[in-house]
This record gives sequence, C-alpha cells and structure tokens, in this order.
Amino acid sequence: MGLDHATIKEKDKKMTTETFLIILQILVFPGAFFLFALAFLYEWVDRKILARIQSRYGPLYTGPSGILQPLADFLKLLSKEDIVPMAADKILFTLAPVFYAVLPLTTLFIVPVASQKSLVMFEGDLIFVMFTSALMILTVFIAGYSSTSRFSLIGGVRAALQMIGFEIPISLAMIGPAIAAGSLSISNIVQWQQTSLQWTVWLQPIGFAVFVVCSLAEMEFVPFDIPEAETEIVAGWRTEFSGRKLALLRLGRDLELVLASALLTSLYLAGPQQVWLIPPVVTFMIKTAFVVLMFSLLRAIFARFRIDQMVSGMWKYLVPLAILQVILIQLGIGR
Amino acid sequence: MRYGSIIKVPFGPQHPALKEPENFMFEIDGEIVVGVHPRIGYNHRGIEKAFERRTYLQNIYLAERICGICSDAHTTCYTQAIENLLGVEAPPRARYIRVIIAELERIHSHGLWVGIAAHEIGFDTLFMYVWRDREVVMDLFETLSGNRVHYAMNTIGGVRRDIPADTVPKIKHGMDFLEKRLKYYLNVVQNEQTILKRTSGVGILKPKDAVELCAVGPTLRASGVKNDVRVDDPYAAYDEIPFNVVTHDGCDVLSRIIVRCEEMLESINIIRYALDNMPEGMIRVRVPMAVPPGETVSRVEAPRGELIHYAKSNGTTKPERYKVRSPTLGNIPALCKMLMGAHVADIPIVLAGIDPCFACMDRMTFIDDKTNKKWVWTMQQLRRKTRK
Repeated sequence: MGLDHATIKEKDKKMTTETFLIILQILVFPGAFFLFALAFLYEWVDRKILARIQSRYGPLYTGPSGILQPLADFLKLLSKEDIVPMAADKILFTLAPVFYAVLPLTTLFIVPVASQKSLVMFEGDLIFVMFTSALMILTVFIAGYSSTSRFSLIGGVRAALQMIGFEIPISLAMIGPAIAAGSLSISNIVQWQQTSLQWTVWLQPIGFAVFVVCSLAEMEFVPFDIPEAETEIVAGWRTEFSGRKLALLRLGRDLELVLASALLTSLYLAGPQQVWLIPPVVTFMIKTAFVVLMFSLLRAIFARFRIDQMVSGMWKYLVPLAILQVILIQLGIGR
Repeated sequence: MRYGSIIKVPFGPQHPALKEPENFMFEIDGEIVVGVHPRIGYNHRGIEKAFERRTYLQNIYLAERICGICSDAHTTCYTQAIENLLGVEAPPRARYIRVIIAELERIHSHGLWVGIAAHEIGFDTLFMYVWRDREVVMDLFETLSGNRVHYAMNTIGGVRRDIPADTVPKIKHGMDFLEKRLKYYLNVVQNEQTILKRTSGVGILKPKDAVELCAVGPTLRASGVKNDVRVDDPYAAYDEIPFNVVTHDGCDVLSRIIVRCEEMLESINIIRYALDNMPEGMIRVRVPMAVPPGETVSRVEAPRGELIHYAKSNGTTKPERYKVRSPTLGNIPALCKMLMGAHVADIPIVLAGIDPCFACMDRMTFIDDKTNKKWVWTMQQLRRKTRK
C-alpha cells in the first residue's frame, strides 16, 4: 500500500480534529449546552410574556429582568431534598424524569438549528420525531403510574387520554410539509423551503394551525393543561416528584418547548436561514422566539377544557381539518 | 361514562381547590358523581362561645373577624341586633354610610369570587385581571377607614367614621372605572367559548330544589328566584334606595357568574345614589354598656347570601347566647344537590360556585354515627380527651 507514515499521520490528525469538532458540536454548539441555554432562555421568555399579558411582572430579580431565574430555579431544585414515596415503583420513578429530559434533547439533534443541516440526519427522521413524541407521553404516563399517588395516577391517565386526541392530527400536520418537499427528512424539508423560496406556512395554513394547537396539547399548556390541572389534581402526574427529579422534569418541559418551536420553525417557517450577514442560528432564534411568543399568547387567553371535551373536540374538528389539509395537498394545492 | 362500580374519592380537607379545610366524600361511578357526603367541622373556632365571654363593645371586633371577606356584613348584623335589644336606631347618615360600605364590600367579595372561579377553570388571565381591578375597591377602603380588610366602620348606634366630602369624588371616580371594567368582564364571560364550555349546564340547581333546600344569596338568585334581604326585610337605608334584584334563570355555574357580575354593577349604582343622597347629621348615638334582657334576630344580605345573627341578653354587659348562621351553611344542602351528576373535573368549579366560606360556617357537635347519640363536653373533658 502506498500510504507512507506522513500521510497516515496527516489523516490521523485530520480525523482527530474532525472527531473533536463533532464532539464539540454535540456537546457545546449547537448541541447540548446551547440547547440547555436556549431552553432556559425560552422558559424565561414564556414566563415573562405570560406575566406581562396577565399584568404581572414575572421573573424580576435574578439577572437583568430575571433572565437567569429559570437557571436559578433549576439549580435550587438540584440542591433540594429528593423524596421517593414509600409505595412508589422505585426504578421507574427514578428513570421517568431522566427519559423525560433526554427524549426532547435527543430529538433536537435531528432538527436543524445552526445551519440547514441538523447534527444527525437520515431519510425518515421525521418518523423518529413522531416516535419520540409518543414516547414522551408514555414517559409521562409511567411517571404518573410509578408514583402511586391518586393525583399522579389521574394525571398520567389524562395525559395518555390526551395523546389519543392529538397524536393523529399532529402526525398528519407533520406529514403535510413532507409531502410537499417529497422527503421524510426534516433537514431536506428545510432545504426545499429555502431553495423553492416559499415557506410551508403560506402553502398549508390549516396544517400550521393544527400543529400549533396540538403542540399546546403536547406541552400541556392552557387550554390543554388537563393532566396537571392544579385546582383538580394538584400538580397532576408530577405531584410526587421533588428535588433533582423535579429539576429534570422542568428541564424536560423547557426542552419540549424548544423542540415544539424548533419543529414548527423547521417544518413551516423554513428553519435556520442565512439572510444577508445574519447567521442562520440568529434567524432560527428569532423564528422560534416568535413561535414561543405565540404559544404564550395562546395559553393566556383560554380556560381549561375538560378531558372529554378535549378528546372529542380534537376528533371532531382537528382530525378532519388535518385530513382536509392532506387532501388539499394531494389535489395540488399547497405544494 | 359510567362503569357500574362505585368508588369513593375523598376531596379535602387538604386540597388545592379548597382555600379552607373541609371534607367531601364523593361516590364516583366512572366519571360521574353519584353521591356526596359533606363533613364539616375542620375549621371550628368556637366564636359563639367567645361572644358570651366578651362585652358588647368587644364583640364588635370579634364579629368583624368571623369572616375575612364579608367582615362588614357581620358587624352590620351584630350592631343591628344589639341596637334592636337596646331600642336605639342609627342616625340616617350612619345608615347611608353602612350601605356604602356594604356595597363596596359586595363588589370586592364578588370580584374576589369571579377571580377564583376563573382560576378553578384554569383561566388565570381573567383571575389576574379581576383581582387587579379589585384593588380599586381595596384602596377605597383604605382611604375611607385606614384598613383594607377589617374596616371597623360599624359600632353599636352608628358608624365610627364619617365619609368626608372630599373623598366622594374619589369613590365616584373609582366606581366609573369599575363599571367600565365590569361591563368588559361580563362581555368576556358571556362570549368566551372555553368559559362557556366549562360553566354552562354545569352544577344545575332547579328553582324548586333551590327553594326546598334553602339556598341563599346569588346561588338562589341564579336559579331564577327573586330573594334578597335588602328588599324583603330592608335594613340600613335600603328602603330609601331604588335598585333591582338581579336574577338569572340559567340555574348553572355560568348564571352564578353573571348574577354576581350584574350585582356588582347594581352595587355601583347603589353607591352612586347613596353618595348623592346622603343626609347631613351625626353618625352615631351613644349607647349604654349594659343591654336590657331580651332576644332578637337580625338579618343582613351578605355578599354570599342571607346572614342571620341571633342574640339573647340578660341585662349585663355580656350576651347570654349568640348565634351566627352564615350563608355558606345555608348553601351546603343545595351544593350537594348540584354536585350530583357532575363530572369529576367539574367538582372544583361547582364547589366554588356557591362562593364557600367554610371557616365562617363551621359548626361541630359530638355524635356517634352508629347509635345516633349526641352529647356535650365541657372544656375539661375535651382537654382530657386530647391528652389520651
């Protein structure tokens, strides 16, 4: 073989830098560290906007305008006593928060954040997103089930029931852009939107609306905060969690918010885009912040539905609407 | 959804929907409530006994503290009862001031309730908005009496503080602001789809049941029954002030919200009229410390409904027996009726629908539920029991 010592060394060096870069990407930017920061930032954005709509102040003291409050809450919870109920299923009870935080984080690697391409991409990663979003609800159910408290159990069951309502329409709303782009990969859908210079939201407004409503249900925001309805079942499925476990649950919730806004941005708002000198990650953040703002606005202006009203409403209105959108796409409108 | 097997679900004494400890045992078939067993007595404070150990003057302050929300209704009722026993009447100006304070209190109490009802159905934005605007009334109370909660305006034979002429424009300004806001909330409540979904047709109480089960106040009026102590048995200056008794025939939680909102608007008109037509003169008459023997009943329309005080005097400076029947106690049987057939998720809003104030109504008695035997214990016996 013609490879001499110097070339191997050169190749080795190149590989080391490449591996190092990949590790840096996964751990720091646009990977875990950046996503955590984004999660805390968006929790602050959400809390602040909601508070201002409700004519409250919201976070105020930690950092400028309370911007560090979510991080402070997280650290405080980490240092608090971690109580496991006597009757709880210890293994599941411990694993559920871990899964709840890790699942949205893993899924976020598939969604393009800093460029048109995501960290991990393969044809069919959209299916993987659907799979993990179903797994997340399953984790919620297991968390409620394993804490063996009646509030948690009811909360868990309600979360699972809720999934029956929004799972189908949200999947159909994800399929819409995929049909238009002719690809099942999120990165390809983003690329298609950018090269064809049209955002899916203008082509498929019904799908966009369905996705927004279902995201509210997925994140348990008002009017779909039924699994954690405070006045009915205390904190719902997370009633028994405390300390580090609760911290992880909160982190998972924040990451879910980032995931939902990132998915909406990629599938319908053309994702991270290089505009003139502005780097893609900035446009991504502007777009997702806009989506978070929309979520906060929506969760401020409704009362909570009852679980039966929610499920029947989803099947009566949202499923037909989502199917209508797919039919319209098949007829050539919106692609 | 009914499954045929009945499970028992306890609600309280500690529950986030209940601001005060009280226990309800629900029998639930699937998602539907088929049985309700209220169990009161978790917040008993022995106030009636305390009445007997204090002088009439001290009791004003005790009566004020029966309730933290309708504190003025209780003192009005108390001072009326004692004035009856003494045979004195408050001067006209004092009676007008009592009306103004009572109606301000009604606005603040109903406002508080609308906020809580919104919170029970998960509408926190409405909750924050209503409570923010309620601050106007609280500030007016502070201007008028120096206090936000226990105004201590009433005394036997009149009121303790006058409403000076320079605060009248302030009150009127506040009322104008509140009227604008309340009309907006009334519009929101009647048109916002999620509120309608959660409240209309929920917690039905038919007019016949309402009368039979002795429901009182807005709960009764929301079932279309025109009943108001202010009209039926006028006290203070209510016989001189024109106003409507608000009723609504929806019989559900929604109509309870609407009745309370419209009552607040009516209160604003009463306050305006009372301010314009307030006679000049003194605000209190001096009364003796000792009250001649006798017994009397005094009735007041508190924000939550008809409030009844009973007093028995024996010629000394302390009452021999004092009894308070607060409106929530009158509404408990009706509440049980409303909860029958409700969804489990609707329990908090139906329960909140009567505007419960459990601490005011709590009563206790020793009873053996197997033999139905009742008995009375002295303080010593009670202490001995707790030591065991």
